[in-house]
Amino acid sequence: MSATAIASSANSRSGAFRRLAGQELLLAVAIVVLAIVVGLVNPRFLATRNLSDILLGNAYIAIAAVGMSMVIISGNIDISVGALIGVLATISGSLAVAGAPIIVTWLAPLVIGAAVMAAQGAIIAYLRIPAIVVTLGMLSILKGGLISVTGGKWITDLPQNFHLADLSLFGVPMPVIIMVLATVLAALWMRNSPTGRAIYATGGNPEAARLCGVNPQRTVLMVFALHGFFAGLASLVYATQLRVIQSTTPQGLELTIITAAVVGGVSILGGVGTVVGSTLAAILIAEITSALVFVNVSPYWTDALRGGLILATVTADILRRQRRAAQGWKR
Amino acid sequence: MSLAIEAKTFRVPRWLKRHETLLAIILLIALFGLGLMNDRFLTLDNLLNQGRLMTEIGLIALPMTFVIITGGIDISVGAIVGLSAIMLGYSWKTFGFPLPLAIVFSLFVGALAGFVNGLIITRVKVPPLIMTIATLALYRGLAEGISQAHSVRGYPEWFYFLGQRSLFGVPAQLLLLLVLIVIAGVALDRTTFGRTLYAIGSNETAARFSALPVDRVKLIVYTLSGLASGLAGWVLVSRVTTTRMDMGSGYELDVIAAVVLGGTSIFGGSGTIWGTVIGLAMIQLLKNGLALTGVKGDATIVVIGVALILSVLIASSLQRRRD
Amino acid sequence: MKASLLTTTAAAMFASSFAASVANAAGKWDGADDLPTGPLACDASGGGAPVVAKAYDGGQPTNPPDRAGKEITLVDVPKLIGIGYFNATSKGMQDAAKELGNVKVTTDGPTEAKIDEQIKFIDNYITRGVDGVLFAANDPVAIAPVLKKALSKGIHVVGYDANSTPDAREWFVNQAEFNGIGKGMMDSMAKEIGEDGSFAIVTSTFTTPNQARWIAEMQAYTEKCHPKMQWLETVEAQEDNNLSFNQATTLINKYGDKLKGLFGMTSVATPASAEAVTKAGQCGKIAVVGLATPNAMKPYLKTDCVKSVVLWNPIDLGYAATYVTRAVADGKLKPGATSVDAGKLGKLNVVNGSEILLGPPFIYTKENIDKFDF
Repeated sequence: MSATAIASSANSRSGAFRRLAGQELLLAVAIVVLAIVVGLVNPRFLATRNLSDILLGNAYIAIAAVGMSMVIISGNIDISVGALIGVLATISGSLAVAGAPIIVTWLAPLVIGAAVMAAQGAIIAYLRIPAIVVTLGMLSILKGGLISVTGGKWITDLPQNFHLADLSLFGVPMPVIIMVLATVLAALWMRNSPTGRAIYATGGNPEAARLCGVNPQRTVLMVFALHGFFAGLASLVYATQLRVIQSTTPQGLELTIITAAVVGGVSILGGVGTVVGSTLAAILIAEITSALVFVNVSPYWTDALRGGLILATVTADILRRQRRAAQGWKR
Repeated sequence: MSLAIEAKTFRVPRWLKRHETLLAIILLIALFGLGLMNDRFLTLDNLLNQGRLMTEIGLIALPMTFVIITGGIDISVGAIVGLSAIMLGYSWKTFGFPLPLAIVFSLFVGALAGFVNGLIITRVKVPPLIMTIATLALYRGLAEGISQAHSVRGYPEWFYFLGQRSLFGVPAQLLLLLVLIVIAGVALDRTTFGRTLYAIGSNETAARFSALPVDRVKLIVYTLSGLASGLAGWVLVSRVTTTRMDMGSGYELDVIAAVVLGGTSIFGGSGTIWGTVIGLAMIQLLKNGLALTGVKGDATIVVIGVALILSVLIASSLQRRRD
Repeated sequence: MKASLLTTTAAAMFASSFAASVANAAGKWDGADDLPTGPLACDASGGGAPVVAKAYDGGQPTNPPDRAGKEITLVDVPKLIGIGYFNATSKGMQDAAKELGNVKVTTDGPTEAKIDEQIKFIDNYITRGVDGVLFAANDPVAIAPVLKKALSKGIHVVGYDANSTPDAREWFVNQAEFNGIGKGMMDSMAKEIGEDGSFAIVTSTFTTPNQARWIAEMQAYTEKCHPKMQWLETVEAQEDNNLSFNQATTLINKYGDKLKGLFGMTSVATPASAEAVTKAGQCGKIAVVGLATPNAMKPYLKTDCVKSVVLWNPIDLGYAATYVTRAVADGKLKPGATSVDAGKLGKLNVVNGSEILLGPPFIYTKENIDKFDF
């Protein structure tokens, strides 16, 4: 581990939260500023309907990013999550079409997701195979397996009461509720529970963590299991939003989720970041995608601009941290 | 007396226990097995053809080995392939460059893209994964924007030599790859440059304090990564006779799979070109062998995934046992 | 120094891409393949394309073995597997194989619409030694070298749905001419939203050859026959359901009352657009017209959100392609022929030299949708 990383994890307890409030603040400001700017060009962007559609349509990405942040903070990575979401959505839908009780169809992805990810976590933690290898292999297995089993057939004819994402509580749509709850609970857990803090320690400096009594292997296993749970939650929202479930894995989803996590301030070196940041980042990225259409950016250039904006956000964050570090730590 | 003792203790030579050797043995077993199941697999024609098809990934896997040895990564290589392919066609058709100049220009674009990656990684200290995720989107987007979704076709006959013809019976692009494998292997193994890569990967801070030109070397490897992607783009366009903005998409995963399968540690500090070559060959031949045996595409993907995990598992557990 | 380096680079990148983007906004659609458009007559004189007498321009296999009457093994490599449309073409092929009795067809292909992967699939089957290759190309030019390789090994090559360059295959089974589809789509939309309505399009990507061509023909036809209709915008959504839904929703929110119709250019985009219209509560106010498979559209046809789905029958397409390949292998379909016998579909005409036309488009409505299950 480099000297700076060790120093930063030593400072993590008090300095990190103050420092990270900076990243979350930056993201929140960016979300608001972008909305205003686009609203000036096309006021329809600020319509409640549009803003809520942006949230609803992309909530599943934010939910998955919560779990992904935890994985990255613990010093690992997972590129199989997109494929897993596709598989879990198909399982959930198939159960529903086969007539299983609705509560089972909703719980199945959570349990199966946690189990599959925990298996990966076990291989990574106990068999010492790097996460990139295990999750790369699992990506292939899930992607191919999904087509093999379903034969490529889509799931239509879903029962009416399957659509969890259509329900609302106190007027707030379920996807938003799930997203907020997931973020808040995960954030509180990571900050206050010993296991949660252990994740930071494991990611920041596994040796020091072990010396402090943290069991890095068990922590990694736990992190992946939780990540699987959140992936299951995301797949639930993903599957119940539309009337058709494709039997292919959503293309590029894992990259979007990882982008949301890293733009949210989670450091790929491990040990730094919050889940609130990744949720805000997921919202920002969704907002940018919509904004580019509203502003009449030529459709040929939307991807380039989005990539550029992401690059700008990330580099701004890095610069901000360096400036803070150069100023030294003032208690 | 000492002779008697030496004769009793049988020592497995160290080279036999290396990750690469174990992998090569697994590869040979797999080849043998697949060859038994299918009589079209182990023919020279098929093997050479597979060599042709794996060249694009192979070209990129060479500098990717360097990058990963330094502890970095480059996820944007696929997008750079697309961008340089587009620039090849675009500069030829729209700028009016003579085709050889267009080819050189596309290689330059690839190198420049890699250079930008390296520059921001070393100067601004953005972590490589994040930087290249962002440039993945940016470069792909540039390819789309510049090409306006148009393809460029209709190249002169000589242009197709690299991608489709053979020299002395060996596919032209495969010869190119073989030459570059040798150069890369020598560079990694025998030069100061190579030793610097390992040093950076093992302990970057120590490397810096040892007055090694860490930033300059990192800049070089990312530029090489971009250049190799540009080269792969040229081979690809020559092979399929057209340019598309989505060329190269997904290559990054194939390249990284080949490199890590070959024993390069994702954490940096170890790895060889030889290992990467074996990893590359293994994945390609496994896919091909399975397809020829009648396994369909989806099942093949599953097998590759399992094989990836298993091989790394086997190789690393065998290595650990000897410790 | 670092900050200024960064800001300058970032600013330069933005300025250039933004400038380029604005400069290129709402450009002319030309199918991205430099081919001319040929809009049909505006009246209802014909849904199909005129039969053009052209010399045979397909490729031929080199020294194919005599397969007349013998069992043949075919491989079908569509653009990708795992979407309803190609599940349907595959089913059609299986139906034809069963009827013919001496044909075996396997469908195998990439899980994403990538031309490089598709080429490798075909290449492997060539090595394995099949009697015929059926394909729907991700790119007409890029697929040509591997198809020509198949021809050179005496393997029959027949395309369907998405063509290659003519000399790379023997025959191409075309569901409908591009300009016929352009006319069909625009006339349906005009009927629903009126001659001065405005519409938007959701497609897969701008480099998907068929979709790009159809959009170009639609634009040419609109300029000619529905000049007052306003084309607002076209967006990409890959072949992803959720992405298509989000894009369609964004369009609905952006244009509000101005948007009267949505086109879905793929079997993924159309149900997703219908869902977006339903969720926005705009059923009946925004028309949805497009390409789709029946099962995915059933709920929307039942609620009258979508009036009709203009398409051809993909099962028939796969069925015809198999019959054509059998006829070619038996030596019954030779260059210069003007028609081919396609089982229960009857006689299909040869147009454009080496294309076989499936027939007039098929319209799925609320009344007949239940008869189909794919």
